[in-house]
Amino acid sequence: MELYKFLPKTNCKKCGKPTCMAFALDLLQGKVKIDDCPPLLEPKYQKQYASLKELIGSEEGQQKELRINIDSDLCDGCGICVTVCPVNARYCPPSLSGKAPDYPPEKHQLFQVKSGKCELLKIEYCRRIEAEGRERECRVCETYCPREAIKIEYV
Amino acid sequence: MEMILNTIRKIDNDQAKEFAFGDNQSLEEKLAFAFLNPKDYTSLNLTKEKHLKISNSIGSIVVKVIEDENVPEKSILLPVSIWANQITIVENGELHFKNIKVTIEVTNDPISKYSDIIKQIKGD
Amino acid sequence: MKRFTCSGCSLLCDDIIVRSDGLFIDEVIGSCMKGKERFDQVTSKNRITSPMIRRKNDLQKVEWDEAIKETITILKNSSKPLLYGFSNSSCEAQSKGIELAQLINGFIDSNASICQGKVLNLAKELGINLSTITEVINKADLLILWGANPAETIPRLLNKTLFSRGKFRMTGREIKTLIIIDPVKTASFNVMGVRDIALRIKAGKDLELVRALKEECCQNDSIPSEGVAGIDSEDLKRILLHITGTENGVIFLGQGILKSTQDNVLIREILDFIQVINSKQQKGRVSLILMGGHYNMAGFDHIALSSCGKIGGLQFKNKQLVETEDTIVSKLERDDFDCSIIIGTDVISHLPYTLSSKLAKKPLILIDNHRTATADIANIILPTAITGIECEGLAIRLDQVPIHLEKIINPPSNIPSDEDLLNKIIMRLNEGGS
Repeated sequence: MELYKFLPKTNCKKCGKPTCMAFALDLLQGKVKIDDCPPLLEPKYQKQYASLKELIGSEEGQQKELRINIDSDLCDGCGICVTVCPVNARYCPPSLSGKAPDYPPEKHQLFQVKSGKCELLKIEYCRRIEAEGRERECRVCETYCPREAIKIEYV
Repeated sequence: MEMILNTIRKIDNDQAKEFAFGDNQSLEEKLAFAFLNPKDYTSLNLTKEKHLKISNSIGSIVVKVIEDENVPEKSILLPVSIWANQITIVENGELHFKNIKVTIEVTNDPISKYSDIIKQIKGD
Repeated sequence: MKRFTCSGCSLLCDDIIVRSDGLFIDEVIGSCMKGKERFDQVTSKNRITSPMIRRKNDLQKVEWDEAIKETITILKNSSKPLLYGFSNSSCEAQSKGIELAQLINGFIDSNASICQGKVLNLAKELGINLSTITEVINKADLLILWGANPAETIPRLLNKTLFSRGKFRMTGREIKTLIIIDPVKTASFNVMGVRDIALRIKAGKDLELVRALKEECCQNDSIPSEGVAGIDSEDLKRILLHITGTENGVIFLGQGILKSTQDNVLIREILDFIQVINSKQQKGRVSLILMGGHYNMAGFDHIALSSCGKIGGLQFKNKQLVETEDTIVSKLERDDFDCSIIIGTDVISHLPYTLSSKLAKKPLILIDNHRTATADIANIILPTAITGIECEGLAIRLDQVPIHLEKIINPPSNIPSDEDLLNKIIMRLNEGGS
């Protein structure tokens, strides 16, 4: 990630987060500020501090929401996102072997293919919001879409 | 200029869909075009107003051109359609839809119309 | 909710949820865009709902009796009729087609001989297996897409074969390796992971690639250092390691191989290569799946094998089957016919000009349900119901598994199924005393 490469990457936990990667994610979402990382205020990280300030700029501290955009002109209903999403796999047994999940959709189901196009049902159960640690960096739906129709962004 | 022609399928440019749901206009818009590599596009001095005439020993068609960097150089791609089949080849009981040698030239002629192609096939 | 089978392409997905009240289709859940278009054909703008006859270049709507009478007249006055299509019809309709061809001493062939050609015959000869999709889900660990682009032609194929978690492949995507061989960077390249390999081969050089791989298999270190066909030697050695080390590998052959300019020689070389691999390995095996088009492309060969004992074009003379190596292409090339019945396919758009112009100059009877280029040329159009939605039937999937299609809603009034229409023509011909 772009923000992570400017951090000390020592996982010293002085900011209260378990890893520098977790801090970077929270920084992107506006939950922490750059100054919340004590090592960054030291003179030897001055260049990185300046670059981070430039990248984030005035949006620092603003709460950002997770958005998963599906471009319905590009989507062709292949259902790869339905099969590969770990939340769907945990709660909808038919999607394990590539089959369409049941209807009406289960409470935790994220993606559904209706009328030949994919729709996002609810975002609250996505790994990027609910999980801890490395699972929060989940990007499988975006990576494996053959038509590149899914974009994950923070707004 | 000589090039190698390949016919491909694209899910957005499906001939059966245009026939079932569209009309002659949507057929021409969605199917009468060719993909070219950007280097070939510039070396032929093509612009959005100009069209391309593709010909070989069987016949010739005029289509519009779209740039696509995924196309290899000296190669031209056409979607599977009645336009592409005016220059595909039959030889000794075998059909050849891929790797066909064609000659191309830039032209200001209008795109080949669907109704003209049907007239030519009927032989009127 | 009840699940139906989609007849949009030859994958025949049987997990589609259709919400309908028996009269109209409200919603289709789980199918891809191609399936949705198939369901939309029920109410499409250009649907043909009554028989039509072309008089003085204009299509006129007529009653069923008149249309069938004119059809019978054309068939009775012809001595070399041609029947073609059938990949959009159920197996029962294909049987009726063969019965009709026998009655009128005609030549009958299906789309499979254009799309797949002699591959099935060759595979049988060399003893190469065709595996099923379920096997690929549960057991395969290597998938090779050769001249195939499923992301644009059969959208759900990659979902079902590569991403699904099978009984012995529970981690799904991580344990399966994908190799794509294609000169153009297609949409299928976007599903590749870190361990997968993409080969951007030079257009038209597949024959050199197969021969190089075969030689390297038999005798090590025979690959030239500058590579073969635009692929460098390191990549070639890597894929050979994958192919010879796999427990269960599947090769998907698409139109890039089946329709290239050297297709006969090339297909034989590829099948030979698979045989060499299988005979050298102790545990694993490599098998084949042919990509399909229409939903019942594989059906005609099954019916022809079971009723006449042969795959491919069937020629009848004096109501008996005679030996022939002809296909639709060779028949049209020689202009060896005097009228044609086309069913369920847009042959004028799909054949090269050299052949379509010959078809257009003789009487053409079309059996289809919406406007196509063939309908713009046909002399008689007989509309039928959409199988899999408005009438039931049996269909065969691309991996040779039979699947039954159910009826979901009623067809428009007075529109018969393919099977009923062909049966009516046969009965009228028999009544008339031929």
